[in-house]
Amino acid sequence: MNINTPIEEREFKIVGKSVRRDDVLEKVTGEAEYTGDVKLAGMLYGKTKRATVAHARIKSIDVSKALAYPGVKAVLTHENVPRVLHYGSPHPRSASCTKDQYILDDKVRFWGEGVAAVAAISEEIADEALDLIEVEYEPLPAVFEPEDAAQPGAPLIHEVGPGGNLVLDPVRVNRGNVEAGFAEADFVLEGTFSGGRPHPAYMEPNVCIADWDGSNKLTFWTSTQSSFMVRGILAEVLGLPLTKVRVLVDHMGGGFGAKQDCFQHEFLCALLAKETRRPVKMEFTRHETFIAGRARHPCKIWLKQGFKNDGTLVARDMKLVYDSGAYGSHGPGVTIVGTTAATSLYRCENVRLEGRCVYTNTPINGAFRGYGVVQSYYALDIQMDEAAERLGMDPAELKLKNVVREGDIAPSGHPILGHGLEICLQHGIDVLDWKTLRNRDRTPDPRQPHIRIGWGVGCEMHGSSAYPGIKEQGNATVKVNEDGTVTLLTGAAGLGTGAHTALAQIVAEELGVRFEDVGVIHGDTDVVPWDIGAFASHTTYLVGTAAKMAATKVRAAVLERAAIKLQVSSADLDLSEGTIFLKSDAGRFMTVAEAMGPSRGIPAANIVANGTYEPTKSYSFAAHFTEVHVDTETGIVEVKRVIPVHDIGRVIHPIAAQGQIEGGIQQGIGHTLTEDYVIDKKTGRSLNAGLVDYKMPLSMDMPDIETIILEAAPDPGGPWGAKGVGEDPIIAIGPAIANAIHDAIGVRFHHYPITPEDILKALREKGA
Amino acid sequence: MRRFEYHRAETLEHASRLLAELGEDTFLFNGGTDLLVEIRERLRRVRHVVDIKQIPGLSDITYDETRGLTFGALVTVGRLERLALVRQRYPNLRAAFASLGSIQVRNRATVVGNVCRASPSADTIPPLIADGAFVHIYSRTNMRVVPLAEFFTGPGKSVLAKGEIVTGITVPPALDNSGKAYLKHGRRKAMELSTVGVAVSLTMEDGLCNDIRIALGAVGATVLRAPEAEAMLRGTALDAATIKNAANKAMEECTPISNVRASADYRRDMVGVLTGRAIKQALEAFA
Ligand SMILES: Cc1cc2nc3c(=O)[nH]c(=O)nc-3n(C[C@H](O)[C@H](O)[C@H](O)COP(=O)(O)OP(=O)(O)OC[C@H]3O[C@@H](n4cnc5c(N)ncnc54)[C@H](O)[C@@H]3O)c2cc1C
Repeated sequence: MNINTPIEEREFKIVGKSVRRDDVLEKVTGEAEYTGDVKLAGMLYGKTKRATVAHARIKSIDVSKALAYPGVKAVLTHENVPRVLHYGSPHPRSASCTKDQYILDDKVRFWGEGVAAVAAISEEIADEALDLIEVEYEPLPAVFEPEDAAQPGAPLIHEVGPGGNLVLDPVRVNRGNVEAGFAEADFVLEGTFSGGRPHPAYMEPNVCIADWDGSNKLTFWTSTQSSFMVRGILAEVLGLPLTKVRVLVDHMGGGFGAKQDCFQHEFLCALLAKETRRPVKMEFTRHETFIAGRARHPCKIWLKQGFKNDGTLVARDMKLVYDSGAYGSHGPGVTIVGTTAATSLYRCENVRLEGRCVYTNTPINGAFRGYGVVQSYYALDIQMDEAAERLGMDPAELKLKNVVREGDIAPSGHPILGHGLEICLQHGIDVLDWKTLRNRDRTPDPRQPHIRIGWGVGCEMHGSSAYPGIKEQGNATVKVNEDGTVTLLTGAAGLGTGAHTALAQIVAEELGVRFEDVGVIHGDTDVVPWDIGAFASHTTYLVGTAAKMAATKVRAAVLERAAIKLQVSSADLDLSEGTIFLKSDAGRFMTVAEAMGPSRGIPAANIVANGTYEPTKSYSFAAHFTEVHVDTETGIVEVKRVIPVHDIGRVIHPIAAQGQIEGGIQQGIGHTLTEDYVIDKKTGRSLNAGLVDYKMPLSMDMPDIETIILEAAPDPGGPWGAKGVGEDPIIAIGPAIANAIHDAIGVRFHHYPITPEDILKALREKGA
Repeated sequence: MRRFEYHRAETLEHASRLLAELGEDTFLFNGGTDLLVEIRERLRRVRHVVDIKQIPGLSDITYDETRGLTFGALVTVGRLERLALVRQRYPNLRAAFASLGSIQVRNRATVVGNVCRASPSADTIPPLIADGAFVHIYSRTNMRVVPLAEFFTGPGKSVLAKGEIVTGITVPPALDNSGKAYLKHGRRKAMELSTVGVAVSLTMEDGLCNDIRIALGAVGATVLRAPEAEAMLRGTALDAATIKNAANKAMEECTPISNVRASADYRRDMVGVLTGRAIKQALEAFA
């Protein structure tokens, strides 16, 4: 069902207020239980033996010494685990995933891939036993760059798939007539762009615990964004019905998209537990979160666009190549979303896009906030800035002229409802007095002649929900208890975003009870309704609507019940803050508790309702304005100020929304300037798989962020017009910084991260 | 994390004996902020650790105008960083201390541990060398005092013999006519290992540079001095052109490597930039 009713205007009691998050006390007191805190009697510890070669056949693997080591209980290799070809990213409802993984294979496809697993009575013993496993490799020629992997005759990494190391057939989008568009153009800009390999580096390393009971049922605690997908794929690969797999996850220390695969160690953990008949825990080291986790796809982009002298964009020709790493994971989804995204942002009638995704012998890239769009919009936005430069125009003006408008066809293929980019840009221009800013005196400060200041603006849009790639569904069950409190059951994961708080706000608002009276049950696949997972900026949007629908139903049922007790018609009743009253006479009332509870001759009520919502998509928008300082002697770029202007429709929890925006900007600054997971291009070995040399900006590095959230463009698909805010804030900051650097020192960068060395080299070339 | 045996030493003699008796893979455990990380990351093979934190008499800080600043082996970076004396008289040390790790790390890490780890990128070493600091070393047979500039023999290596323990460090008094600076170059404002660190300590007399020491971190196997650059500056008024020439000379005197943090060329360039800036900053004391 798609809700297309107009957006309701009403006065809100709970929605739009920054209520105290339901998990805040537990978290600040350290009581909140994360997966890693779970301890079971007799629990063993599992560790993965990892390959020290990028591409090889395993000639032999000798585990005898490890098995004989005191304290070791089981060792698994490709010789004693089921050989089932399976998806890495468990999106069975998506057309775009790739069946290319085995639990353990006799082939190694990247340096760091698991080749064996050990369970032992302590983590230390398991770790020591890894060194006793002897693996003999027969090395195969390896490829580390998509260009090399795509060459005819390049070593093939997989036997499955379309061949030529392609993860999927090229994604092609054609609209209008590109040749005719270029013929019409007054000038053409052409450039190549590239993006590094940022890693989400979530605070909580991946961890899982497997426990089989006497009925051969697997209980599986795991830090995942998509517990039902983990359940599905574990059941599929282990040959179990869904009733025999229960996945549990309470609090999480982030995921940012990367925790929505089913990981190799998760299968191994379940199998080690099965083999030993004891619970087994496997927890990544920080190092493993890099080599065995998921990063953003490095990308190479070729972009050619034709412009008229008035700034109109008349043709766009674009080729994108995403580096999938050694397995498909989210490669197909990222390629489709990142490529089709380039139909939009800036309007253009004539578009030709081609997106490819290529296997390489490097660690796996997967889903990460901004899902392919970070890459494509970096190119689109910077080239628009270049067009403005060429035209002698203010880039903000040119962007304003070209941004998508209401009714334009969105990347999803349907017309945009609630477009907000124009208004975000205009608002930023106004509050910053952008024109004055651009015409400022640019003489360097004589006390710091080496510092140059620049301002830049970048734009983005991003969909809430993964439609049309996946037809999604949000579910919620709402129960009203006999004391008037309310329980919401949801499958939505609690990554740490505060989503459960937002859902509880929605239920409380719709039902007419206090926020504090709504409890949220989540994270148990045996109990809560099915959920696709927390990704695609969709939890508040789609589960929120489902929760609202369920709340509407229970509200009606509660009023029916009260009507009987008050002997009036339910149509004459209203419900607010837990009190049911006669619309015509507020003096006649009863509490929800009184309505629900038993009275003589009437048992307590059992009121339960489900909400199911299958949305299409809505889009959120933002323009980021930023000030950077470039040290022309050291090449260091400091982001001093960011003014993000977002339109996310109705805001449910302002502080949580702002938190998403600030966090996205922090990650975006990271991948634009300092963060890059580097793989040695000769061996495939990771060079900075750890937080010492993988450099995320920390709190002290953060600039002033003056967040502005507009509620100008609500989408009728979300609760009261709410849209997603999870992914957006990481997208526009990158091009904004690159454009600001250009403004500061007159050098264009087409890649990220832009390092101090890049800055100095470019300044030298410019000076020469 | 790999298993290891923990021993608590009651006295210096006890610690030294444990070091000798327990064999090769035995290490002193001070703040542990290097040692434990190295065990966990499997960078160092460790079977025994000897905790020295309970040994009495190693936690003192003293200052007098003739001897200077002396602090014991157990004195944390954080304690020294917060000392008014350090803030006022040793802005170079203060800058190094305040740049090391984070507040939490500094409340645990010791300066002596930083020195004994002998990392070429250690932040406290360049300003201590530029200030002409001495290291006090205990062994069961004698005590010796070694200039810090002669303490290091390679990355992670020092003149310490098996069983020797550093008991403290003395930094000569900060003279009124001195100027000091330490500049750390990294990508972050905290929790950052130096890509390059440059320390300058100088004294001025009658408008001329009386003495100057330049110490360069993270651009060689140990923290390096830049003797030729220093020679170019001594006796001059430290005018902009002389500083520029000396900074260029320092670039020639360093021997950086390329790694994932930065290329050798970039590090060399930064030695030039930071040497110039550090001299200018040291001169601000006279402004
Ligand atoms: C998160 C983090 C950030 C960091 N950031 C920085 C940074 O910015 N800059 C920097 O320079 N360092 C940094 N470090 C490294 C470390 O904190 C410092 O080197 C610290 O000063 C070491 O002191 P400690 O007391 O913890 O030494 P320990 O780890 O206890 O010892 C270090 C070494 O010195 C030896 N040792 C200790 N005391 C003695 C003694 N009395 N006699 C002889 N040998 C001894 C030990 O055996 C060991 O080999 C960081 C570390 C962490 C974990």
